Amino acid sequence: MSTRRAFLMGTAALGFAPAIASAQGAGRVVVIGGGFAGATAARTLKTLEPKLTVTLVEPNPVYTACPFSNSVLANLREISQQEFRYDGIKGAGVTVAETSATGVDAEAKTVTLADGNKLAYDRLVMSPGIDFNWGALPGYDEAAAQKMPHAWKAGAQTTLLRNQLQAMNDGGLVVMSAPANPYRCPPGPYERASLIAYWLNIWKPKSKLLLLDAKDAFSKQRLFQNGWAELYPGLIEWVPLSKGGKVTSVDPATLTLTTEFGSHKAAVANVIPPQRAGAIAGQAGVADRTGWCPVEPVAFESTLKPGIHVLGDAAIMGGMPKSAFAANAQAKVCAAAIVALLAGRKPQDPILINTCYSLLAADYGISVAGVYRPDKGQLTDVPGAGGVSALEAVGGLRGQEALYAASWFRTITAETFG
Amino acid sequence: MGRFLLPVLATAFLLASPVQAADAPPGASSCTGCHATAKIADSVIPRIAGRKAADIVTFMREYRSGAWPSSVMGRIAKGFDDQQTEAIAAWFAAQPE
Repeated sequence: MSTRRAFLMGTAALGFAPAIASAQGAGRVVVIGGGFAGATAARTLKTLEPKLTVTLVEPNPVYTACPFSNSVLANLREISQQEFRYDGIKGAGVTVAETSATGVDAEAKTVTLADGNKLAYDRLVMSPGIDFNWGALPGYDEAAAQKMPHAWKAGAQTTLLRNQLQAMNDGGLVVMSAPANPYRCPPGPYERASLIAYWLNIWKPKSKLLLLDAKDAFSKQRLFQNGWAELYPGLIEWVPLSKGGKVTSVDPATLTLTTEFGSHKAAVANVIPPQRAGAIAGQAGVADRTGWCPVEPVAFESTLKPGIHVLGDAAIMGGMPKSAFAANAQAKVCAAAIVALLAGRKPQDPILINTCYSLLAADYGISVAGVYRPDKGQLTDVPGAGGVSALEAVGGLRGQEALYAASWFRTITAETFG
Repeated sequence: MGRFLLPVLATAFLLASPVQAADAPPGASSCTGCHATAKIADSVIPRIAGRKAADIVTFMREYRSGAWPSSVMGRIAKGFDDQQTEAIAAWFAAQPE
């Protein structure tokens, strides 16, 4: 279809959209971004209301999942096991536009695509994930990431970091840097440190890992630190903000990370840089000055641009962390809310759960869980619920949670991609 | 008569609202992040679709009180009161096994 014709049809349909939507219970929903939030939203919308026209805009034919990608670094998995295609989404009746969204006009309710087409929508779901704040850390740009991989979007970066670790001499110093909050996957840097230590302990036992941190506390902290002392004594050194952990610049030519207290030359460097919502969120006007997207807590509609729902890592979700489980849970709530809104009904107040596992070794898992509901305009922890795994593990709890983690990954990816 | 009327009303209600899944009670959609909707061959986490509502409610109460030991379920069950738990249990019980 030509751009002009698509645009005209879109415009024509747009004028009658409210009447059509209420009369037939149908409508047009565009979803930007096919990660855990977007893929789930697209598929769930079509399942709940088959009459909807749902278009998922996603340029990559293959999605590479971040959860369990730290196990790829530790040689416990292959990157191919992290890859998911959109066949199940297409099979559910979703139209997948294999291109990027280059512009959103919230007033005209249209999305411009890189291939020149324009899509009209009644409701837009944006789940663009994260982008890096290139330049926020002096010395760290896209070229530097080829020397000091972030591996914080799974795929080629994950493989690059794994290859660097495998090529490193025994006795080498691995230096990681973790950013200040908020960022994708709060316990992720600590799971990564654990699993790199797990691998070093077996294959390069003279090596050390230095974890430079821009904060003084982190998710599941006592569980991680107890586990490190138990499993890898002396291997991991964590340097918090107050002890000079904040990295202020990097030099990719010499693999040097500099803090306010000194410089560290790495054999392998993993820089997890500061982040913000995916760039299209800024273009659409749904990101605020923090770089993230404020939403209301029932249908996750932007508080800045009506008609646009923001999900997953890009959104500010109150107490809910930026995790794949949370993205999937938010997407299912949002899909039901959009179906209600398009039918002229008021969405119900939701309750959401997050469960997030981290591995410290192949057979050693820990978890954090939370239950959330809307309160005073944002998603808030239900008091008395949630929390982390017991500090004292009895009855093989750590092994059991490692098994649950693996089952969770198989389930969430099937739930998301079909 | 009461016995006869109830199913008829229920059927009429279902026909009037074809989007049954959209009416899942608060919290239910999050459960399937771990308790799979589809039959996953290789998972140690049980499916709960089609299970008896009374059994789900009993498990959730035992998890909540700590009478039945658990890893995450105790922490999650504490986020739901009896009424919310019963609604979720009834909904899963009505889903195909």
